[in-house]
Amino acid sequence: MADVVSLTIDDVPVSVPKGTLLIEAAKQAGVLVPHYCYHPGLPVAGVCRMCLVEVEKAPKLQIACATQVADGMVVRTRSGQAKSGRTGVLELLLINHPLDCPICDQAGECELQDFTFQEGRPASRYSPTYPKRFNPVEDFGPDVLYVPNRCILCTRCVRFMEDVAREPVLNVSERGDRAFIGVHPDAQLDHPWSGNVVDLCPVGSLLSKDFLHKARAWELDKTASVCTGCSQGCNVTLDLRDETVVRIRPRPNLEVNRYFICDHGRANYRWMNRGDRVEAPLVRAGGELKAVDWDEALDRARTILAGAGGSAVALVSPAASTEALYLARKLLGRFAWTGAFEVVMGEEAPLAGVPNLALRAERAPNARGAELLGYGRDYAAALKAAERAAVVLVIDDPDAQFTTSGEVICLGTEVPTGAPLHRSSVVLPVANVAEEDGTFVNRDGRVQRYFQARSAPAMARPAWWVLGQLTDTPPDSAAAAFDALAADVDAFRGLSYAALGLTGLRAAAGAGVPA
Amino acid sequence: MSAYPVPVEPYQPVFVGALKEQLDAVIARYPAKQGALLPALWMVQEARGWISDEAMAEVADLLDTTPAQVKGVVTFYTMYHQHPVGKNFVQVCTTSCCNLCGAEDVVKALLAETGARELGATSPDGKWTVIEVECLGACGFPTPILVNDDFIESVTPERVPELVRKYR
Amino acid sequence: MGYPQKPHPKETVVLSEYFGDPEAKTFKGWVKRGGYEALTQALAMDPAAVTEEVKASGLRGRGGAGFPTGLKWTFMPKEKKGPHYLCVNADESEPGTFKDREIMRWTPHALLEGTAIAAHAIRAEVAYIYIRGEFTEPWTVMTRALAEANAAKVFGGITIHLHRGAGAYICGEETALMNSIEGKRGNPRIKPPFPAVAGVFGQPTTINNVETLAAVPHIIKRGSAWYKSLCLSSPKSTGTKLFSVCGQVQKPGNVEVTMGFPLKDVIYEMCGGMRPGRTLKACIPGGSSVPILTREETERCLLDYEGVAEAGSLLGSGGVIVFDDSADMVYQIMRLARFYAHESCAQCTQCREGTAWTTKILERILAGKGQTKDLDLLLDLSDNMTGKTICVLSDSCATPVISGIKKFRSEFEAYITGQRRPVLVA
Repeated sequence: MADVVSLTIDDVPVSVPKGTLLIEAAKQAGVLVPHYCYHPGLPVAGVCRMCLVEVEKAPKLQIACATQVADGMVVRTRSGQAKSGRTGVLELLLINHPLDCPICDQAGECELQDFTFQEGRPASRYSPTYPKRFNPVEDFGPDVLYVPNRCILCTRCVRFMEDVAREPVLNVSERGDRAFIGVHPDAQLDHPWSGNVVDLCPVGSLLSKDFLHKARAWELDKTASVCTGCSQGCNVTLDLRDETVVRIRPRPNLEVNRYFICDHGRANYRWMNRGDRVEAPLVRAGGELKAVDWDEALDRARTILAGAGGSAVALVSPAASTEALYLARKLLGRFAWTGAFEVVMGEEAPLAGVPNLALRAERAPNARGAELLGYGRDYAAALKAAERAAVVLVIDDPDAQFTTSGEVICLGTEVPTGAPLHRSSVVLPVANVAEEDGTFVNRDGRVQRYFQARSAPAMARPAWWVLGQLTDTPPDSAAAAFDALAADVDAFRGLSYAALGLTGLRAAAGAGVPA
Repeated sequence: MSAYPVPVEPYQPVFVGALKEQLDAVIARYPAKQGALLPALWMVQEARGWISDEAMAEVADLLDTTPAQVKGVVTFYTMYHQHPVGKNFVQVCTTSCCNLCGAEDVVKALLAETGARELGATSPDGKWTVIEVECLGACGFPTPILVNDDFIESVTPERVPELVRKYR
Repeated sequence: MGYPQKPHPKETVVLSEYFGDPEAKTFKGWVKRGGYEALTQALAMDPAAVTEEVKASGLRGRGGAGFPTGLKWTFMPKEKKGPHYLCVNADESEPGTFKDREIMRWTPHALLEGTAIAAHAIRAEVAYIYIRGEFTEPWTVMTRALAEANAAKVFGGITIHLHRGAGAYICGEETALMNSIEGKRGNPRIKPPFPAVAGVFGQPTTINNVETLAAVPHIIKRGSAWYKSLCLSSPKSTGTKLFSVCGQVQKPGNVEVTMGFPLKDVIYEMCGGMRPGRTLKACIPGGSSVPILTREETERCLLDYEGVAEAGSLLGSGGVIVFDDSADMVYQIMRLARFYAHESCAQCTQCREGTAWTTKILERILAGKGQTKDLDLLLDLSDNMTGKTICVLSDSCATPVISGIKKFRSEFEAYITGQRRPVLVA
């Protein structure tokens, strides 16, 4: 046990590994030491001087972000001295900081507001006759605006670009109270991961143009989810205002994306709000698709399936949930079935400073999950097989181009076009990633949960529910659907929603897939 | 904006020929290329009189760093000029020790005599820029000034006309 | 006394012997005057033995911190795992201090010799002499001297490079100096790691001041016992020190005296005392970052580390700034605050914003718009700026404010009550 250090923080005994920083050890004691420049995903800077704490026997206040724990250390984060040190920092930060709260995007999720409210002075002592420092707003790049007046020079953004993105395009320019964050005219902030500086900025100095003035932080409902942009499976938070997704932010997961998401994923939310959805179950009658209720549509689908024999083809989206894909496979179990998906490919863009983190070439969240469940990538072969299939089941593949002599059952979020539109006997509306609970399996075989952020539009239901209804033993919840999957498929054995939690678990490696 | 396209002269690199060799010798003094940054910037300023954004990009490329980092360094150190200055760049110390000995009067005399009239402004004939600087480390010889690279001690308002004449 | 004066009989002339002697700048001239004998001697000694000698002499850092030099050298790793570096701090920018420039422009070889001996002691292969950008004459002289010395191959396996600064007082802080040599902004670093563990380019490094190193050849040549015997008061302060006397005295200049010498005699006897009709009002004995002394304190102050501390200030760099009764203390303190605000590197909140705010409050007082509560505000603000930052520039701005208000409160109040007319426009 030589590598464990015991100390006391605010009278709470704490034991942590040797080398732990005080600011992290304090979290174990339930204490959040106020800070700005420190971030667990960035190298320590120690410049904001906000995290001042009192350490017994030390002559001066110490900054918790740069002090390592020592055996027997006694730390007081809320002593009079420590508090007055932090109050001093807050006062000094506010003397040039403009009173922009009413027009600043950060209001409501601003660490300067939070700590000032907690420990700041009630009134300013800065003479009203002094003008505040003024610099005009700057356009740093495709999505980032910089408001120098609000900047507290914590240098998180500079350190992110230098050490994590490994593309040092941001600097600190000038000196003293004239300092600001600068760029060189030759280089914009267009690194594929540069949007993270907006999240990292503790105040409203670095802003996303995409989110500018769209919503107030307190109006947002926040839900944990998983990015659907590629197969990396970065954990995200969906921010919704009035049931509309307005922003995606990274959610920490030390095994996958640490604290970051790429710009592609960040921008990838507008499709979630599309209005051109299938709104009601549709059944073909008299050559035309007519809206009916669920009972009738499901009955029709059951009839089709019961009456068909031979081969079946499932054309699925690599963004369909693992539960839905499992139930579809179960449904087609008695046919000779082929399942396939098509993945859009793009250029990979790694985040150099984090191992195994990149915007992946495969632009879909659940290709691996589909593979583990027996779906293949040979989409062309599946299209060929569809020609003679008795049943073609299309899951959220609205533009699939195929011809078939059999029946077509289509589950769709968007209104389908092409073959799914003209050949479907039944079109069933399903929820998208923001509207249901489910799981994706990322490229490393990590099974991660995403949570429902809002209700599905009109009569749409989760795909797992729809497919479950068509089987003999419909699961009554997404969790139950996953449990059935885990019991049945080797790769997922031992997993459950409870075990997956908020950060997921690796599926069994090298597990075989039953035929 | 001009109605006609204004021809912009393409940037001519500083570090060619002898200067490039000189830079290579300087780089060899440090275990990491970036160590040569301050000397390289001095070489640029000596060659061109100031350090432009293009020059910063050139230096960045030669020293395996980014233009943004070079710019961060240039803007930190007050002796590097980011704009062209007058032919004679005059720096006058006015920190307390020299202040006690009449430095501000020297500044006034220089501004008047050179025609620059305002601190930081270039005189109409383009020959003078006068600025106040912090302690020049010659407090025992008040008031010290720098005219370009010439360090002149014990300047008084009385000496200013003769000095200005000498450099004009 | 230093150039252009002749040495005063009460001076102890060691470092300043050849100030004003143009021949001493040349290699041949320096050798003629006994130069480079100490280096030859030191290079034949074991590095640890050199360190022991310097330690025994009691030499303390002359840049301002007064840390025992020999002890500092022992912080370098005992086991050599990679290159070691010596950095020489010739960034002299502390207001009131102008001794290192004289050492460099009159006796450049003294510095080169001391540098080489120190590099040998700490087993450094390379030494960088960081000379501030404004020191154009010392730069030229040092360049020529280095070329001559290199041609004569006196340094053994040690390579000395000159590195030119570009206008930043903060680069006189040892970790900022290292960052500046690395080609970065002159930002001080958080410690740990300490320079002796991971310094310039990540390697073990020692940083020493010019005056400190100029004393080293003398210690080697004449022995630590001799250096230690140069002591008039506290045994913990030995050797000689160049005091840069400036401000409102008749004969400003560098004065070299034995540690423990009375400050009063330096001002009145050696530097010609006050101008006619003037009396001493205040004195800052160690460069602008140390507390201001009143006349009484100045006149009983002995010039060594302990003596100045006892008088209520710090020896610091030994820059003696003299204020007579015509000096406007409030204005000069404002000008010092403005100096610190201009030189702040911008990392720490207290310094970046506090130095500028301090300046603004003082300017407002000088513009006749001050109030009594402003003095409490200044003291509270100065307290916030003390002991909470990466380096002590912030504390250095607070010090003259605190000591100024404490000892010259009536001058501040005169502006506040309107008794004194404003000298600035708001």
